[in-house]
Amino acid sequence: MTFNILLGLAIIVCLVGLFLRLSIWFTQGIRPPESPISAKQRITSALQGVLSTIFSAKIVLFLKSLIVDLLFQKRIFDKSSLRWAAHSLIFVGFILLFFMHALDSVITESFFADYQSTLNPYLFLRNAFGLMVLAGLGIAVFRRISLKPQRLKTYPSDWAAIIFIAVIMLSGMLLEGSKISSYTTYQGMLEEYGAFDEEEEKALEAYWVEEMGIISPHMQSPLDSEAVAMGQEINADSCMECHSSNKAAFASFAMAKVSRPFSAILGDSTTVSLFWFLHIVACLAFLAWLPFSKMFHIIAAPVSLLIKGTTDDLVESPANLLNVQMVGLSACTHCGSCSLECSSNMFFESFNNDFILPSEKVQYLKNFAAGKEIDPVVLKRLQEGLYVCTSCDRCTAICPSGINLKQLFITSRYALLSQGVPETAMLSHFSFPLALAQNFVDDHLKALKQVTELFRQSFKHLSDITSPMTLSNAAAVDNDTFKSCFSCQRCTNICPVVRSYENPIESLGMLPHQIMFSLGVGKLDLAMGSQMIWSCSTCYLCQEHCPNQVELTDIFYSLKNGAIQKIDAGAN
Amino acid sequence: MKYAFFQGCNIPIRIQQYATSTEAVLGAFDVELVTIPEFNCCGYPVRNVDEKAYILPSVRNMAIAEKQGLSILVICNCCFSSLKKAQNTLQKDNTLLTELNGILAKEGLKYSGTVQIKHYLTVLHEDIGTEKIKTKLVNKFKDLNIAVLHGCHILRPREITNFDDSFVPRITEDLMQTAGATSLEWRGKLECCGAALAGINDELSHKLLQEKVSGAQDAGADYITPICSYCHLQFDTTQKNLVSQGSGGKILPVLLYPQLLGLCLDLPEEQLGIEENSTIKKDDIARIKSLLGPPVEEKKRRKKKAAA
Repeated sequence: MTFNILLGLAIIVCLVGLFLRLSIWFTQGIRPPESPISAKQRITSALQGVLSTIFSAKIVLFLKSLIVDLLFQKRIFDKSSLRWAAHSLIFVGFILLFFMHALDSVITESFFADYQSTLNPYLFLRNAFGLMVLAGLGIAVFRRISLKPQRLKTYPSDWAAIIFIAVIMLSGMLLEGSKISSYTTYQGMLEEYGAFDEEEEKALEAYWVEEMGIISPHMQSPLDSEAVAMGQEINADSCMECHSSNKAAFASFAMAKVSRPFSAILGDSTTVSLFWFLHIVACLAFLAWLPFSKMFHIIAAPVSLLIKGTTDDLVESPANLLNVQMVGLSACTHCGSCSLECSSNMFFESFNNDFILPSEKVQYLKNFAAGKEIDPVVLKRLQEGLYVCTSCDRCTAICPSGINLKQLFITSRYALLSQGVPETAMLSHFSFPLALAQNFVDDHLKALKQVTELFRQSFKHLSDITSPMTLSNAAAVDNDTFKSCFSCQRCTNICPVVRSYENPIESLGMLPHQIMFSLGVGKLDLAMGSQMIWSCSTCYLCQEHCPNQVELTDIFYSLKNGAIQKIDAGAN
Repeated sequence: MKYAFFQGCNIPIRIQQYATSTEAVLGAFDVELVTIPEFNCCGYPVRNVDEKAYILPSVRNMAIAEKQGLSILVICNCCFSSLKKAQNTLQKDNTLLTELNGILAKEGLKYSGTVQIKHYLTVLHEDIGTEKIKTKLVNKFKDLNIAVLHGCHILRPREITNFDDSFVPRITEDLMQTAGATSLEWRGKLECCGAALAGINDELSHKLLQEKVSGAQDAGADYITPICSYCHLQFDTTQKNLVSQGSGGKILPVLLYPQLLGLCLDLPEEQLGIEENSTIKKDDIARIKSLLGPPVEEKKRRKKKAAA
């Protein structure tokens, strides 16, 4: 009765959760098009996409992906056999326990006419599957701890998932273990199935105490071997048909050692009830928690993998683009594989911004897609994290859930930039692959304008100065080779950038030799504010040709670093 | 010879043919390239923002190579100069070395400075040598006019890169000659492709690129051979984008050095991946191949001359 109420509750919560999570797939999105797409349109587009895949040659890709990506988990296998082992152990063990054990009255009984939960191979297999899951969890814990220095981030919710499954497995084993040693349970079976005389009963009990692990109030091991032998015969004749040796339940048999002290204190039947309750509550709570946690990946990851397998990340309809984004966001298990291989990982170490790691970005983007109010400071860091990316696409190639991270990141990057907060990282070479790919060209230019305008406003310019400049001590720049400059202008004359403008002073603010001179007379601000440093092609011709070993290009780099620092310090 | 193969971020995703053709050519001379998935970005993209953040990634890469007991072979110029710059900086700055090693220690890495950084052209030119290359030539080019674009960061600053004479480079000359190709004298040979300004100042970046394209074409180049992966992308992707957006002018197709030498060594075409260069057409490839001939002719002629 209690069980049915709890089960009903868990199923209701699970269904509501599933509905909420699935509805997000069709209602939220990053950078939706100007003219809104209704949920109905998005569901229709999704269905059209699914149908046009199933009823076309693409069905082959679909089936291939089903076997290779979903059942075999090839994407994990290709990257790490240890991780694959962990996931497969948990996945296979859990699924088989779910169908064979949790749903035994529905599934197992209809497939195997002779099914008895107390019979082998079922008794043994239940333990084997449970142990598989625990072994997988063990590897998962080891992985999370050992890879921490490699920037694998673990949230409390990641530990929660591991602990939750472990509790289910261990409570099940404790339950079975406590039943194994319970004399009350033994008596119950005897009363229900046995018809023995007193001597036979004693012999049978002796055998069960000696070999099957029950704790009897009447006798203790070691027992008279004759009685045990007779008990064995009776057991073989009358019990074995429905009850295999408890030792076949090897994990639970070992667990009985843990449950025994409980039985000694609480009594054996109370202990059995206690562990039953613990096991049932753990299982049902897990069911209810599933849609609200990363375990939702049981549903979202297969969908995401099938989409990748059949579309190869080429989705055209705007509605489906949004749908795929949202499926992707919900398929992330925070496994951290992307961050482990992220080419920008060292920038994370330098900038101390978690959002540089793809796994942390993708987790947070869920809030962004949901249109939640986000603190401007967090938003700024997210924007930087999205920009400090080498566009190497390793994260997308590696994601075990097949999430198109690249598309998510590009779209979010420009969605954030269009909100108008200038991003200084745009002035780095992270912009190169973006210019190459030509996505969001207009947005890029607009955002670039904002950041260059910010620079223009933040520094003094030569053209602003009307009264004569006062000279001061040479500027404090790490590289002080500018002190050797004697203004021969060779740098300016050889510069391909200066040559590119009809009126270079107007376009560049100051010419290379003028920048060296201004540093010499202590006008650091003026040097930092000149457009020349941002137009420098870093070709090093000036530096190479300088007769006095002034390291112009290197000085330009430190001016750029200094200018960005100054701007960022002002913004924060 | 065995090297840790440093491909950087662009090559594995955008120019795989540069990696496969280099691997094939070096493989022909028993140079083995080991791919190391743990390598990260060289740091170059962040140099405008923060110099220390620029140095750290290269130090980690070098520490990984040291741990594996391998020297590093680089294709991309910018990766090459980043690694060299990091090496040079830490040689002079012990405090920074200690600081950065402190960060690396978290993951059990340590940079000691023993690793060698080599550009693949140096391996071809010095370690293998043009004489040895010549012994393996199955074909040689005749009448193939190439404009080599060195890319800036391999030549300069010379104290850091130590690659070749930064004013009169010889390595590419010798290597082109070995393959029978003519390396043209042209005004952009040692200059900038504009890549460093892409996405920051596109107008200027395009101007610098187009100046190189027309410069090479004016000098009579049939193909351009960029050494750096950034230059390659400027010519093979941006050039194409510009022409398709109506900038006018004729496309100058890209042919990479290992592809060109690979043809002379008769290496499998799928490894050379010439078709993967987006600026090259099927006719171009046929034309290039038609310029190949047996490498013995030159010797015969020389002998005849000597006899006369």
